[in-house]
Amino acid sequence: MDKDEETNKTDTDLTTLDLKGLQEEYLKLKELSSVKSDIVSIAAHQIRTSLSAMKWIIKMFLDGDVGKMTPEQENLMRKAYEGNDRAIGVVSELLLVNKTEAILDKQYAFAKVDLAELINSVLFDFTGEAYARGVEIIFLKPERMHSAKADKDKIRVVLQNLIENSIKYSDMHGKVFITLKELDDMMQISVKDTGVGISDEGRSKIFQKFYRDPEAEKKEVVGSGIGLFTSKKIIADHGGQIWFESGPGEGTTFFFTLPINK
Amino acid sequence: MAKTILVVEDDNFLSGLESKKLKEKGYEVMTAGNSDEAFKAIADAKGAVDLVLLDLMLPGVDGFEILRNIRKDEVIGKVPVIVFSNLYEEKDVKEANHLGISNFMVKSNFTLDELIEKIKMLIG
Repeated sequence: MDKDEETNKTDTDLTTLDLKGLQEEYLKLKELSSVKSDIVSIAAHQIRTSLSAMKWIIKMFLDGDVGKMTPEQENLMRKAYEGNDRAIGVVSELLLVNKTEAILDKQYAFAKVDLAELINSVLFDFTGEAYARGVEIIFLKPERMHSAKADKDKIRVVLQNLIENSIKYSDMHGKVFITLKELDDMMQISVKDTGVGISDEGRSKIFQKFYRDPEAEKKEVVGSGIGLFTSKKIIADHGGQIWFESGPGEGTTFFFTLPINK
Repeated sequence: MAKTILVVEDDNFLSGLESKKLKEKGYEVMTAGNSDEAFKAIADAKGAVDLVLLDLMLPGVDGFEILRNIRKDEVIGKVPVIVFSNLYEEKDVKEANHLGISNFMVKSNFTLDELIEKIKMLIG
């Protein structure tokens, strides 16, 4: 064996060892990530239970169920109620981020997806939130249409992000319109709200990671700033496009496209 | 005659708040912290339960299993059930709907008054 052959052999052996080690590390990290995800989920559930109790107790005070309060006490209780609701929002956001991470960790599995069925299923998940905020959701879809070629779980994340935003940033008794239509080789989905709209500053930054629009901040709505960033990545990975039309106080319409399954 | 509601909730504090509000609105209330207590309460009431308010995350047998057993029961198999939980993943909602519920309400999204409104709509 000449010197070159010996060096090559050693390199090959090292590479095999490295790969094996990396694979073991990857599996360990994956397991750790799954444990972390479970811990976050259980902790969030417990925190939410305590926050629910706080919400109900403060509401009892505000409704005069446990006696009349002075105007100052009432004012403080109202602030406590709002603060508690924000905390509930933070926990929900934490759960959403946790779930999104778990879904993004998985490889893409493209299949035939009935978008109307998927939208209806996502809308069902938001029934409670929409009811609580008095927001009416209207889904307009054609009678017959093709399916999309997509990863159902990941497109669910996109729809959840857009629909959740449209409810969160709407005023009480606002309206959300969802449309689904075919354009040549693509399916186009739009989610339109009657909410705060996106500021001029936000127009170029809204899809950046952790970016929060000043209009959203003003509304004191909880958000992590990763929903739209994630959505853009998922849609790009499908070969589609995502964009919006909006102005401050004019509401916002988000559009995205997905290839038709042929 | 007052309608009877069975509250299945393992958190005593939440169960106490729910019961207080329901009693104030004129309902008879039975409480249970787990599956055994729930079916003992149903037996004690000889099946005279008008609605079950059911948490999902419970010690031992979970809310889904209790719901399955309620639906199999000859006496109270058709009683309206409102799931009142802080679990609301799509799979949870789907499974509960599949087992036959009247409403799925997320505790942190609703006040007790809104819960009472739903109950009134269902059983008066």
